[in-house]
Amino acid sequence: MDDQKPQELRDEELVALCQQGQGEYFDILVRKYMEKAFHIAFNFTRDKEEAKDLSQDAFLRAFSRIKQFDGRSTFYTWFYRLVVNLCLDYTRRKGRVRWQSLDAIVEENPERAELADSRRAPEQLAMAGEAKHRAESTLKSMPDKQRTAFLLRNHQGLPIADIAKVMKTTEATVRVYLHRAVAALRQSLLEFV
Amino acid sequence: MERKQTLETACRDFEEDLVLYYYGDGSEGERGRVEVHIRTCARCQRFLDDLRRLLPQMAQPESLPQSFWDGYYRETVAKLAAQRERSSWWRNLLTPMRAWAVPVFASAAVAVLAVGLLIGKGGWNAQSVGRRGNIPQEILTDASQLEFFSSMDVIELLPTLEALDGGKTESSAGRNG
Repeated sequence: MDDQKPQELRDEELVALCQQGQGEYFDILVRKYMEKAFHIAFNFTRDKEEAKDLSQDAFLRAFSRIKQFDGRSTFYTWFYRLVVNLCLDYTRRKGRVRWQSLDAIVEENPERAELADSRRAPEQLAMAGEAKHRAESTLKSMPDKQRTAFLLRNHQGLPIADIAKVMKTTEATVRVYLHRAVAALRQSLLEFV
Repeated sequence: MERKQTLETACRDFEEDLVLYYYGDGSEGERGRVEVHIRTCARCQRFLDDLRRLLPQMAQPESLPQSFWDGYYRETVAKLAAQRERSSWWRNLLTPMRAWAVPVFASAAVAVLAVGLLIGKGGWNAQSVGRRGNIPQEILTDASQLEFFSSMDVIELLPTLEALDGGKTESSAGRNG
């Protein structure tokens, strides 16, 4: 371990170092998971600032509870659970989330948007925008558990076994949630296929 | 667009497996069963094609500039450092105390207990005095009457005392005579 660069350490090794009081190693975990944490939070909140706050809060909580991590699950499953729970708390607290378009973020970087626009015909862009809006509305109206299962599988690429751990349920239940979410999305998006 | 009006669903027994198949999940047996089925079922094949067209678009992560992530990282690390600082402040305060903390706290506790007892006792005494001060006048009167009656007991004993005293005088006179 001494010859290894800190960035090359496995999650469990980094966690062990943090548990021994070397909290600075947690920064590596932040670097590794910040994009995923932010994207999960954004998918739930549809608000860039809220997503940033929630995902950062998840890191702070994970760090303050790092000694409670017993290694029975992987770090990322444990951490995802923290993020998802914070997001679910947020959606329950807020009731209806303010739905920020994904495009609004790109609008902050006009050069990127311009580049993307030049590759696609205007009608294609309009259709894509409408489809995106429809998908977001469908996701928003889904029960929390279905949405969570779908976002973790489709957007985050988590295996079903890990989603079951994150959601503290069985794999069979996750399959049902996932199926229902996908069926609902397919139904709402069929005209765009 | 034609299918918009009449939503074609996959075969009921296969829809859930098709979703898992799309994501590459499910056991080998389940996947094999789906593969055999979609060769002959156009509806399920179309269902799977729809998933392949729709779901990857949704999964595309929003692209944010590197400057956003740099700022995000800096901000998070700063918050973590502040949290670490807060926790180490407490640790620093407590760590050097550990060697002498036990006897000091024990002595302090004993001292506080002793002072508390002293004050408590004083207070109790004052309270008992106060209690006496609060006795109703009628009872105090009765008490003085009781004292009177006890003095009356002594008066009743006077003849006996005199007799005893007289006997003593006679015997002493006899001894003298």
